[in-house]
Amino acid sequence: MDQLARALSGIVGPQHVITRAAELLVYENDGLPGYRLRPRFVVAPGNRAEAIAVVRALAAANAPFVARGAGTGLSAGSLADGIVMIGLHRMRQIYSIDPVGRTATVEPGVVNARLSKAAAPYGLHYAPDPSSQTACSIGGNVAENAGGPHCLKYGVTLNHVLHATVVLPDGELIELAAPRDDEIGYDLLGAFVGSEGCFGVAVDVTVRLTPNPARVCTMLADFPALDGAAKAVSAIIAAGIVPAALELVDAGTIAAVEASIYAAGYPTDVEACLLVEVDGPAAGLDDDTAAVQRICRENGARAVRTATDSSDRERLWQGRKKAFGAMGRVAPHLVVQDAVVPRTRLAPVLRRIGEIAERHRVRVCNVFHAGDGNLHPNIPCDGNDADEMARVHAACREIMEVCIGEGGTITGEHGVGLDKQPYMDMLFSPESLDAMCRLRDAFDPARRANPGKVVPVRYCREWNASPSARKAVGAAP
Amino acid sequence: MTVRGLPGADLCVHCGFCTQACPTYLTLDDENDSPRGRIVLMKALAKGGFSAEDESLMLSHLDNCLGCRACETACPSGVPYGELLEAVRADTLSQRPLQFVSRLILFVFARPALLRLAMLKVRLIRATGLSRLLARMPGRLGIACATLETTRRPSHGIERRLPRPAVARPAIGPDPAKPSPAAAREAEARAHVAVLTGCVMEGLLAPVNRATERVLSRNGYEVVSAPGQRCCGALHAHAGQEAAAQELARINIAAFEASRAEFIAVNSAGCGAAMKEYGRLLAGSPEWRERAMAMAARVRDVSELLADAGPEPAAAATDAAVAVDHPCHLLHAQRLSEPPARVLAAMQGLNARELPDAVDCCGSAGLFSLAQPGLSQRILAPKLENIRKCGASVVVTGNPGCMMHIGAGLLRSGSPAVTRHPVELLDDAYSARSAQ
Repeated sequence: MDQLARALSGIVGPQHVITRAAELLVYENDGLPGYRLRPRFVVAPGNRAEAIAVVRALAAANAPFVARGAGTGLSAGSLADGIVMIGLHRMRQIYSIDPVGRTATVEPGVVNARLSKAAAPYGLHYAPDPSSQTACSIGGNVAENAGGPHCLKYGVTLNHVLHATVVLPDGELIELAAPRDDEIGYDLLGAFVGSEGCFGVAVDVTVRLTPNPARVCTMLADFPALDGAAKAVSAIIAAGIVPAALELVDAGTIAAVEASIYAAGYPTDVEACLLVEVDGPAAGLDDDTAAVQRICRENGARAVRTATDSSDRERLWQGRKKAFGAMGRVAPHLVVQDAVVPRTRLAPVLRRIGEIAERHRVRVCNVFHAGDGNLHPNIPCDGNDADEMARVHAACREIMEVCIGEGGTITGEHGVGLDKQPYMDMLFSPESLDAMCRLRDAFDPARRANPGKVVPVRYCREWNASPSARKAVGAAP
Repeated sequence: MTVRGLPGADLCVHCGFCTQACPTYLTLDDENDSPRGRIVLMKALAKGGFSAEDESLMLSHLDNCLGCRACETACPSGVPYGELLEAVRADTLSQRPLQFVSRLILFVFARPALLRLAMLKVRLIRATGLSRLLARMPGRLGIACATLETTRRPSHGIERRLPRPAVARPAIGPDPAKPSPAAAREAEARAHVAVLTGCVMEGLLAPVNRATERVLSRNGYEVVSAPGQRCCGALHAHAGQEAAAQELARINIAAFEASRAEFIAVNSAGCGAAMKEYGRLLAGSPEWRERAMAMAARVRDVSELLADAGPEPAAAATDAAVAVDHPCHLLHAQRLSEPPARVLAAMQGLNARELPDAVDCCGSAGLFSLAQPGLSQRILAPKLENIRKCGASVVVTGNPGCMMHIGAGLLRSGSPAVTRHPVELLDDAYSARSAQ
């Protein structure tokens, strides 16, 4: 066994260090099919003290590492290429819930939906709700600054993290807190959230809990034409309504969902559906509901139906949230995109995406956070078909070009990881990329935490200037 | 080692939504012991190229699987996990010799004469009270004795009855002695039903089978016998003994065809799930495939038949606090949650509520509790804690494995709570009314 692995066994127990190739197979992937990289070994600490000790031992050995939560990420961000993987999935303790201050302090491996379940008796929930919320972890959410349908109204992960205890890659323990009005200084927590595991490992996180809304109204609008659905999205926001969620599901996605155990009763004979939810105090909610229905009809909706009760509402949502997994029914592999465009440009962008798909003979299934303009064009494909994959990748690049051309960006919530790296220089100048490297250096000057992700290394000037630093990031000795 | 092609495995897109539904992942904290991890291992085994040592390591993770199939009801993509698991277990049976205790049980259960003899001996142990004496002993012997104790019923002498309501409730509905004209009409229309008597059910829990027959009759079904029927073969299929499972399936198909029953009523969730899959089990046999599919289409959990018939309401015969648990093979394999709820709802005044985390596996899983007692007990622990917290004195669940496993856990932890099959409570309610 690897010397370092043996040393770490002493910290976490031998059963929580996985070294054999046959047992590392499942840790080669995250939630994004198409990328496989084998870690040197996996070490899974069971609590804060163990996690800190593991990072310190890795620092002493000058070993690079990748932290991984539930392995549900969609940018190949938690893949470890021959380096140590720290599995945080065992750290599932909820330390405390403060129903008065509306906060919770949790370990990074706590699963998003389980935190909301634990907060439910107090009438509270954790608002950021990625579609993978039944499986993804808070630590992973912090690393990726995860979004979700309800982030349109309630804000993304960044808006809900109040404090994090972080062990820096060199082993130093720091406390990062969201700045309060009476505090002066840089918002380092803001920099840490969304740093994709490149700045250190959060060993505990304090998050804001949100009161459950007094009333919720969930609507499903059927649009015979995709264009009308896209226009309705922009019109709803323009009318001054801030829905709790505003999601678009297109025909290809509806077909996969309706064939699954999460069939939600979406109509299979339309080009798109909008899932619109308004919530808040009872007063005024009916007006918003009526306005949404009117705007949908004005933009060509065939019908708008309202969820009759909480189980009906849950069913409508489960269809949307499990859509990604249901794509397995269409083809064995899936390329997932995560671009953002200005909401007002949704209709022309969707048209262009349709044209690109047709030209490259690939199938694009759109299911996305329309209210945020956060597109998820999913392309089901067969990874073993080289010709098809070449067409898929060409189509992806063109879709990204269109989104950037319309004033958008390459990721809304999945992170850059490995998957979006090729697009970074389409969006950022070399100077901007270098600035990102310098920020990273403030946290991890040796670049041992999740090396090779987010910013393509060629853009880091000192990095290029210093061969010794490059050596430190190399594969296992 | 040759593992057959696993077409259904390609449906997995590695989203990981299954992981939090998996009791062994949540207990063992290694993704190799999660559904998506096991699918990766199955695909790798099918591809081949591993050392014998690696193969046995990979198979050990498949052995850790309960087969509860909770991952199937979490999977948006519809991966047929249970089917994949059985296929790989069948193909690797020679590499992965079953434990002696598992092989012995499977051998005996496939042979009616031996099974009858074995059950007689076990009942003898129960009748002498020996099992009661040893139920709190540490280790497998203690667990086995406690498990046996949970099958004791008032008709066996020592078991206490469930507490009766303090105030007798008025009878609801028409006098059962005189069926109403509507009931009589319906009774004529309702079907002939043969009950799967089963191995453990008839051997140790015969009162549950009698209760099943009575509640079906009460709801207008004509119960017919199906001589020659055997163990359903579920345990054999789960363990990878495909040939033995197929042989038992063929015998049962012939027996139930001869009974001329329109439906086969099953009061064991695991057996029902297996019999509904006879079509797949015998899909490779041209002469049996059609018959197996026709038979599978007639299999019903007893709760489905009762729900179709109403069921006829009656005042609950007990005022004990009842916690409802869901057998995995009802909820996840057969996807039934509504019919069992209707059965309980038929008992007016029943003080029942769903056990917290009732959808989680109890760790029984057929032979698993014997083959892997340590892991099985760890998975059971949170269930026992939930029962303790909710203060129930009766836990109802529609599967003998769960009844015995949870019951034994309760007994060994000193809890006064007992387990019952839902039809036992319904039968009590009907007979209490008849007695009035």
